[in-house]
Amino acid sequence: MFWRRRSEADFSEELKAHLQLEIDRLLAEGRDEDQAYRSARRNLGNLQGANERFYEANRLVWLEQFWNDVRHAIRRLRKAPVFAISTVLTIALGIGATTSIFTLVHAVVFRSLAVRNPNELYRAGKKTHCCEWGGITQSEEFSIFSTDLYRYLRDHTNGFSELAGFQAGEAFLGVKRHDTREPAKSEAGEFVSGNYFAMFGVNAFAGRTLIPGDYKDGASPVAVMSYRTWQVNYGLDPAVIGGIFNINLKPFTIVGITPPSFFGDSLRQVPPDFFIPIADEPLVQGDSSISRRPDAHWLDLIGRLQPGARASEVEAHMRVVLHQWMQSHAGDMSANERAEIPKQMLYLSPGGAGITSMREQYEHWLNILMTVSSFVLLIVCANVANLMLVRGMEQRQQTSLSMALGARSMRLVRQALTECVLLSLLGGLGGVAVAFGGTRLILHYAFNELPGFGSIPISAAPSIPVLLFAFAVSLITGIVFGIAPAWMATRVDPIEALRGANRSTKRAGSLPRKVFVILQAALALVLLSASGLLTATLRKLENQDFGFQVERRMVLSIDPLLAGYRAEQLTGLYRRLRASLGGIPGVSSVALALYSPQSGDNWNEGIRVDGHPAPGPNEDILSTWDRVTPGFFETIGNPILRGRPITEADTATSRRVAVINQAFAKRFFKGEDPIGKHFGRFAFGPREFEVAGIAKDARILPYELEKPIKPFFFAAESQSSVFPKAEDTFSDLRSHFLHNIVVLMKPGAVLTEAAARHAVAAVDPDLPLNLMLSMDEQVAGVFVQQRLIARLTSLFGVLALLLASIGLYGVTSYNAGSRTMEIGVRMALGANRGNVLTLILRGAFALIGIGLLVGLPLAVSAGWVLGNQLYGINPHDPMVIGIAIATLGFSGFVAALVPALRATSVSPIQALRTE
Amino acid sequence: MLTRDEKTRLALLQGTLDLLILRILVFGPQHGQAIARAIQTNSEDVLLVDHGALYPALQRMEAQGWIGAEWGVSSNNRKARFYSLTAKGRKHLAQETSRWRSLATAMARILDLDSLESQEG
Repeated sequence: MFWRRRSEADFSEELKAHLQLEIDRLLAEGRDEDQAYRSARRNLGNLQGANERFYEANRLVWLEQFWNDVRHAIRRLRKAPVFAISTVLTIALGIGATTSIFTLVHAVVFRSLAVRNPNELYRAGKKTHCCEWGGITQSEEFSIFSTDLYRYLRDHTNGFSELAGFQAGEAFLGVKRHDTREPAKSEAGEFVSGNYFAMFGVNAFAGRTLIPGDYKDGASPVAVMSYRTWQVNYGLDPAVIGGIFNINLKPFTIVGITPPSFFGDSLRQVPPDFFIPIADEPLVQGDSSISRRPDAHWLDLIGRLQPGARASEVEAHMRVVLHQWMQSHAGDMSANERAEIPKQMLYLSPGGAGITSMREQYEHWLNILMTVSSFVLLIVCANVANLMLVRGMEQRQQTSLSMALGARSMRLVRQALTECVLLSLLGGLGGVAVAFGGTRLILHYAFNELPGFGSIPISAAPSIPVLLFAFAVSLITGIVFGIAPAWMATRVDPIEALRGANRSTKRAGSLPRKVFVILQAALALVLLSASGLLTATLRKLENQDFGFQVERRMVLSIDPLLAGYRAEQLTGLYRRLRASLGGIPGVSSVALALYSPQSGDNWNEGIRVDGHPAPGPNEDILSTWDRVTPGFFETIGNPILRGRPITEADTATSRRVAVINQAFAKRFFKGEDPIGKHFGRFAFGPREFEVAGIAKDARILPYELEKPIKPFFFAAESQSSVFPKAEDTFSDLRSHFLHNIVVLMKPGAVLTEAAARHAVAAVDPDLPLNLMLSMDEQVAGVFVQQRLIARLTSLFGVLALLLASIGLYGVTSYNAGSRTMEIGVRMALGANRGNVLTLILRGAFALIGIGLLVGLPLAVSAGWVLGNQLYGINPHDPMVIGIAIATLGFSGFVAALVPALRATSVSPIQALRTE
Repeated sequence: MLTRDEKTRLALLQGTLDLLILRILVFGPQHGQAIARAIQTNSEDVLLVDHGALYPALQRMEAQGWIGAEWGVSSNNRKARFYSLTAKGRKHLAQETSRWRSLATAMARILDLDSLESQEG
């Protein structure tokens, strides 16, 4: 209802009119004037009261009082600028830390894709499996699908309005404009089904998206480009749309541009820049194509439910369809595998956030960081509450005077709270700025960018949810740290105003202040010991014996597929590359590998040893393996302990050889001499490899760093095998497309990128050099997360220590100040400086001591929480906790010493004179 | 000091004041003093209206949209604020009146019963 505001003046006017009318009436009844006036007044009651009730009934009064409070608070804060600014800065740090972590949490954990009605989307599978899986059956659940299976599910499952399939992971493509002579650039692409964009409900920013017609085999090749690439690499050139681009040397027409907000089906470090129909995968990937094999799973599926369809029913139906598909392939399966069919499961999970591999990877450490930053915020709150209490003490006289003059205590509480909330909102504003800078920094360190590719689509700029978060946190912070001082304000005795508060011997309010310091010390201890544990872990990881050498080694990434090489041309290409790079002055040796140490890739196969019985179903027969050129072991610095490495003598026609690691020898040749023994990779295949040598165990894989090194073998690049099953032969063939060149430099020599590019271009100008890193950088890249957590936690730990010290300093100096007279008396009675110092320090250390007692169990439980992040470091390492305690104790000592020394420097006479 | 006369007057039940004001305004626009007066005289001086409570009540009712207000001139040529019934107020009056009637009937029934029993006993 519309509420016309009536002025107070109008209301009093009405009351006056009433009085007049009443007097008139009484006069008419024959009373005398004086009597009439008094009677009328009495009947009306308390005029002031009526006025006040009118005022209170007015709903806008709240707002008006609030506005008055705000104005009053601003006035008071402007009178204490140092207090106001330091408080706002402290709060800004706390809120900034929390908000920047929340920005990441929001982007990685909570955000949905920028698509139409993301809540209608469901994904087939719960866990994420990047990027390929072989075999008709899958362990646990089906979460990755072959092209054949995708088409079968799409055509036979009811309940989806669209079911789209798209590549799990990304494809690195060599892309160049058809009409330019520039070398091809390496770009990230993704193969998607024709209904991919229709399923997401994403329209093209320009041109059109893919349509199901594009999906048909034999349709003329088209692709869609991301807005990012269009903007960054092609300057929003409109001629790109409809233009021809060579993708891995095959001509494609770019039919459209995706909208700027669309970064694909999942949050990835490298978002895809080209969307290509699945049907064109064989054209693009050539010999390495995977899409036509029914047992090669490489697609993720997301579908949009039909209106009214229930996910549980669709899931049940999809399972039935999945089993039908497996039955239709029963002929290709071993008896063991056929027995697995009834156990095969498939689940639907919400797909609005896309494929959430990033969430799975980062959620745990984001939780840790969120906890750590909220601890910092708590310490900030305690600190500011302390500041506010001091301020409250200083304003005691003012407050008691206000109360003596009849101010209601609720109003005083509200006023104090308003001041706090105002401060915290200002701090929140500063916090958003801090968060913007902080998030950019974290993004830069947390997700290493590959030069030339897009970066992770997380913006540091505050979004609506982030701003709301910061606002809510500021508000809560203001109330949390403001409630205690506000409550204290009402506990003031009005009599004190008359008595003079300075004379009071009561140290009211010192208990809450002590509690805050204890809380700060406890939280700081938790953060310090957590950061100590994480730093110790990082140091252990970085300084471990990798089994290979890091210094003077460079890693170059290439992809022969991008330049259209066929399998039979590869050995020659590698020989020419080694010669060309080896010719650069300062290069000591060059070798290629399917993947280099700590690059992140890995290939696994089940091992069958010649002369051993067939392995049981539960036996762990997996071994990781790599394909390498001659010179590999000396180039990476992995010593051969027995036998020989892979050499130039191992050719396509010589015996197939392999070098195994110690773990392999231990696992598969227990009590035997492995040299000269034979083993094979596939159940049906030959025992193809003869063991030629044993290499020292090396950490090639960047996973499971806390566990013992697993079996590993190296095969010669120049040798390949033919297997009874076509897919095994195909898999062997794909392993010949080597991706990494390792270059060992002579001491003091430096490999420039220009020299490396030139040497590669001299071999083939169409072969792009994707990336060049030092082995140092490659290994460091593995520990990016650990390093970031360790550094941020240390930063937060130092912040906490600083704030706790400031808090202790404040309490100690306040106590010492209020005990000036007592100290004077003691000194006059013969106490020396040492006694006084002990007196003050004892008080301070009691607080720190209690804080440590409270913090210790918290620190120990923090160790439990961190447990699996610590890679074998004892989560309750007494050294680490000891150092944390010592650091906190020392800082506390310094913080308390300063005011204590000041107290002892007071001359007794002066102290006694002080009023 | 209360006179004997005043002692027999009844303080108004919570909420009944609104109803009385609305009823008085059925006869036409009236200012506050006259409303108080009318309640007192129409109840044959049984009901006492606290003038101090009257105006906040009027204020509240105006906010509810049951009555409208306008400054005017009284019969003896004094400036006064005149209140009049709105359509919404009229509807509210009808509802409240029937509610009040049924309440009063129910009350009366129970109270009569009570007095009957005590007579018997």
